[in-house]
Amino acid sequence: MTADDPTAAAPMVHAIDEIVAKPGEGKALLDDYLARYAPGARARGMVLEQCLVSPPMWLDDQSNTLVFRWSLAGPGAWWQMRFVGGNNPDIGAWWAEVDARAVSRRRFFAAAPDDIESLCDV
Amino acid sequence: MFKLTRLVTLADAARLAPLADELRALARTHTAYRTLVGPTLPGSHCGGDLLAHFAFDSAEQRDAFGAALAPLLAGDAVDGADYQGSPGGKQAPDLADGVYRVLLLSVDEGTDPTIVEGFEAETQMMPHYIPAIRNWQLSRAEAAVGARRWTHVWEQEYADAGGLMGPYMMHPYHWARIDRWFDPECPDRIVDARLCHSFCALEASIL
Repeated sequence: MTADDPTAAAPMVHAIDEIVAKPGEGKALLDDYLARYAPGARARGMVLEQCLVSPPMWLDDQSNTLVFRWSLAGPGAWWQMRFVGGNNPDIGAWWAEVDARAVSRRRFFAAAPDDIESLCDV
Repeated sequence: MFKLTRLVTLADAARLAPLADELRALARTHTAYRTLVGPTLPGSHCGGDLLAHFAFDSAEQRDAFGAALAPLLAGDAVDGADYQGSPGGKQAPDLADGVYRVLLLSVDEGTDPTIVEGFEAETQMMPHYIPAIRNWQLSRAEAAVGARRWTHVWEQEYADAGGLMGPYMMHPYHWARIDRWFDPECPDRIVDARLCHSFCALEASIL
């Protein structure tokens, strides 16, 4: 998306969840995330691009870290996702449950380096 | 600079113009040195029908004005705050025919003060990254009325509504950085989901 070409598609942006599960909770938390959170996220325009588990084995006495990388079709789609999700109390309840089953959690937003210039050209 | 801002949702829409005149007249009698009273523009959210903003030289003047103002708004729904305007920034002190925008927000009670300071510091950097914000102030509320215990007043001025709806909203410093303080999906969230986002036309800068 540039000033010179307003018809160009907006750069893809990413929402990344990084969840450090409580010891022994990794597999169950992953399953719940995919079964209970992912369908609603898809309905809000998010596309699950990648799901990673570290270390790549299920630990029962230590923490697994779960990483989910979602894509969205630009900042406009990001805000659409945000407005819908922000007004749904079920989503807040979901994350409260996750936080109770996690040692720590981060959600952050990112884009490819090549897209920074056009994302900032607003 | 002792300030008072009210967002008035009228019980009777026909009162908008006469009430605006009454508020301006009351501000004159209380020697407000800055007054902005105007209908909110489309796109405001929980921002009322009428935006009213006043600045005084002393807290005593402001509070006396607030006491006189309250009966005029008794039949309407009102959100607002009384506050001492914190030093902000002025990139365009001569801004004319622009847009004034105010956001009332409520940080959760009990939030670690260090975290609140981090939120404030990052918010105050928005104009550094988003030049469409021409003048600005982020202030802590001393008193609040309305739907929440408003803790902060985030005021900005733009050359036009496009600056608010475009660069302010779409710049990554907003959605990928600042918004995590507001987003219930982010563990950093400290701000209540109920916000008052209100803006109106501005003849000359008041910040």
